[in-house]
Amino acid sequence: MKKYMGNKLAIFLFILPALAIFLIFDFIPILQVFAYSFTQWNGLTTPTFTGLENYFRLFQDRVFVTSNKNQLIFAILITVYQMLFATIFAITISDAKMKGRKFLRVAYFIPVILSVTVVCQLWSAILSGQGLLNKLFEAFGSDYTQNWLGDRYKAIYVIAFVNAWQWMGYQFALIVAGIKSISTDYYEAARIDGCTNAGAHRHITIPLLAETYKFCLVISLTGGIKAFTEMNILTGGGPNKSTYTLTYMMYNAAFKKSEYGYGLAAATVMVLECMIVMLVINFIFRDKDQRKEEERSRRKRHAD
Amino acid sequence: MKKKVLSSLICLSMCATMLFGCGNAASEQTTTQDQAPAAETTAAAETPAAEAAETTEATGEKVTLSIYTQYADDDTKVPYDYAVEQLAEAYPNVELNLIVQAQDDGQTLKTLAATGQLPDIYQASTDLINTFRSSNQIMVLNDVAESTGFLEKLYDANKDLAYAEDGNIYAFPFSGQEYVLWYYNKALFAEYNLEVPQTYDDLLNCINVFKENGIVPLALFGQEGWNTAAAFDVIATRYNAGGIKALDEGSASVTDQAYVDAANTMEQLVAAGLYQSDATTTNYDQASQMFLAGEAAMFINGQWYIEDATKALGENVDWMFYPAADAASYEAGKAAFSGGGSASGFAVNPDSPNAALAAEVAEFITEKYCEAKVMYRHNPLVALDTGKEPDSEYPAMMKKLSDTLPSITSTTKFTWGLTNSTFNDAIQSESQGLVSGQFSAAEFIENMADSMQ
Amino acid sequence: MPTKPSKSILHYIFVAFCWLYAAFSLYPLIWMLFYSFKNNQEIFVTNPFGFPWPLHYENYITAWTKYDVPLYFLNSLIVSIGTVVITIFCALLFSYATSRMIWKGRHFTRLFLGLGMFIPVQAIMIPVVKVVQGFHLTGTRWSLIFPYVAINLAFACMVYYGFFRGIPRELEEAACMDGATIYQTFFQIIEPLVRPATVTLVIYIFLNAWNEFILANVLVGSIPTLKTLPLGVLFFQGEFTTDWGGMGATMVIASFPAILVYSFFSEQVENAMTIGGAVKG
Repeated sequence: MKKYMGNKLAIFLFILPALAIFLIFDFIPILQVFAYSFTQWNGLTTPTFTGLENYFRLFQDRVFVTSNKNQLIFAILITVYQMLFATIFAITISDAKMKGRKFLRVAYFIPVILSVTVVCQLWSAILSGQGLLNKLFEAFGSDYTQNWLGDRYKAIYVIAFVNAWQWMGYQFALIVAGIKSISTDYYEAARIDGCTNAGAHRHITIPLLAETYKFCLVISLTGGIKAFTEMNILTGGGPNKSTYTLTYMMYNAAFKKSEYGYGLAAATVMVLECMIVMLVINFIFRDKDQRKEEERSRRKRHAD
Repeated sequence: MKKKVLSSLICLSMCATMLFGCGNAASEQTTTQDQAPAAETTAAAETPAAEAAETTEATGEKVTLSIYTQYADDDTKVPYDYAVEQLAEAYPNVELNLIVQAQDDGQTLKTLAATGQLPDIYQASTDLINTFRSSNQIMVLNDVAESTGFLEKLYDANKDLAYAEDGNIYAFPFSGQEYVLWYYNKALFAEYNLEVPQTYDDLLNCINVFKENGIVPLALFGQEGWNTAAAFDVIATRYNAGGIKALDEGSASVTDQAYVDAANTMEQLVAAGLYQSDATTTNYDQASQMFLAGEAAMFINGQWYIEDATKALGENVDWMFYPAADAASYEAGKAAFSGGGSASGFAVNPDSPNAALAAEVAEFITEKYCEAKVMYRHNPLVALDTGKEPDSEYPAMMKKLSDTLPSITSTTKFTWGLTNSTFNDAIQSESQGLVSGQFSAAEFIENMADSMQ
Repeated sequence: MPTKPSKSILHYIFVAFCWLYAAFSLYPLIWMLFYSFKNNQEIFVTNPFGFPWPLHYENYITAWTKYDVPLYFLNSLIVSIGTVVITIFCALLFSYATSRMIWKGRHFTRLFLGLGMFIPVQAIMIPVVKVVQGFHLTGTRWSLIFPYVAINLAFACMVYYGFFRGIPRELEEAACMDGATIYQTFFQIIEPLVRPATVTLVIYIFLNAWNEFILANVLVGSIPTLKTLPLGVLFFQGEFTTDWGGMGATMVIASFPAILVYSFFSEQVENAMTIGGAVKG
């Protein structure tokens, strides 16, 4: 069996196409990003090597701290929102007794289909000073009207909500797909054991979806770290760069200030942050096989 | 299994169509490249426009020039369409391939430049001119400007717009000196018995009255950094006529008393509610519609807005001299305007196979842009003396501006005319901070000083 | 269920919430449709949320006449389908090899490919265009398809990896006993099991490619015959002013086909996948 699953030729053929495309169209550019982050370069002329200068400058940049804080808030908020609602809705519409579940399934996914521009236009209309939300508050006689997108400290939460709202549908679809690939046998067994519906889900669905949750987590956390488009449309990074992220810093430096090298340093730091997040998630979620393997190799090392 | 066969069939046929499509595109490309040397020889002769046209006509070959420019609203579509129409007569063998400019801070153009795909002719701002100069991707147009008579037609006042710092011409400007105007709705001021404010105290009074009546005193489109920078500049020029231009050039420091005063004044006005509360997330169209619909009493924009404002508000709209700290500085300030010309216009890619021809065409288009702006957009503030008359009378606000022009002694710059990109970035975002009311004047001065080090 | 708990008031609140949330998710569609029939004044001042009246249907005429809608549409379709087919094919094989086959370095290879998910497209734009030029792909649809595949690959591989991990080992053991080659095992037994993942990925990747703007603008923005639908919005965005209604019409033209395709096909495709049966069989 081990030989069967270790067929060298098959492995080679299987990974070749993906790896080739990735190496050429993604990895080579990423390497260049990394290399140019050590230079002073406007994107056009010959770059001059400046060592770690860009990084020193970056760590002293006032906006760097704001950006990282924003990314953290963004990542955590969208992760919690998306995972929570996606799970609830996925379980709900997987219940055959739920009326109109086919309709609901399409409805929850609709925001994903629309382009980010449309969604951001809608929300900026809702959230603007004379927007729907403030008018609603006024209508109910509440004075809780806010400058939703213009607040130096709170705007990032609002932007994160818009993103979370739009992409919840996708995590929802992934979890639905995950539930579908769970064999119905498990549920039958649970029913025979007298489990309630909710109990069955808690004990079967969620544990079996560990892998699904793992990549949902990676998607939303790294999505939060590299957020850009929503800020760009909703606030333009403002007021005074208080809704910046590292991607925004990169964009601003590279294209507005023609400091390409500096921008790429910001991009590199961001990629490293994403990498760390992914490795940590992988470490936490490592499954039994992996753990066994690790132990085996550890023992081997001890034996040597 | 059946499904798989079907899908692989679809896949195959798709690949075939794609290959076919690609093949077509590729062959098209080679043909244009084949034409290139021929066109080059014709154009390289540096003959005057008409002659060059004749030679190309004689060889009967079509030359396609790509042009990267704005083409969205009337102010950009009307001149372009007019230029194309005129070009067809003067250069029947030249065809333009329009690439519509994206509003992305030059991201597209810089990428095209970095990858050697720069269009033959492109609209370049000061920032782009400076960047492309360093990489030799912008053609020196001195000779073409001479031979085509561009320099003769250029108004004296606009001479400095054509030349870059190093004394060369890199772009043919079509806009002349431009001004930041402080527009106001006459009807609204009359309705609430308000005089046009001359001092900041007057202005504060107006703010209070308008706010009590549910009218936004001044609609700012603060999502765009240039508008908040202009909002700061109209105040700064009351204290130091050089405004943001002096800061850009380094002839003044932001820690000077004049700028500290300006920042404090702005902070005070923001706190009083001069701008709408969500000004920093308002875009141009939102703010403009508020002003045109009578929901906002004042508006800050360039003089190019005269046409649109007059169309919508007619007699009810006018512009005012910027208010100042006291009556004396108000009178003195009448000669100092915010805004100014910028060395931006049509530039040429020197690596284009048809560079010489492109340079002539760029000059030709620039002339036609000026003509169209005068004739159809009623904007006499163009770079060139076109000798054309507008198709109807100039709007009242434009007449008033023309009458004021001779007495203007000092202008500043729009953000796209600034030369120091670090300062440009800082003033746009820091002034936005002031407008938001969440950053103090002290923070503004400190951060600006920091970033300029 | 043996003891059916009586539906509590909480249950009804929950159901109501589900439907409210759904309405909230559908609202942008209606809003976008209304929006596309308004002019700037109505959008920003007089009527931002209500029914558009009078109907500014000329927005659609402008959108239709400003650029070659059918051509852009066709280009978008070809590029998107090409991207989907290649990405799914590559990602399926790669993830299978890294998740279930046994070889040294599989974890590293998988994580290495994951790198592609993290880099913002603005950062790699210039190098990507240079690579495209290096392979002489400029001026072809491949110049869009390959970068799109590369961008979506990491994500697709990660999703597939998760789904492959959940499949019991016994399936391959049984297939091996039956004498099937590894290729047969993969295509006939394993691949059908991850169809739910494939369907969601197809939709997601298709939408990504369909809505992509930044790369399309620099790669085919100057080639009229290859432009894709998202580039249409450029015709409405001026330096200062934007024709929002016209843009709305463009966005309706661009997104309604996607929505229709999704709502018609997603159900049928998903119904065709009988997961439980496959595992049992």
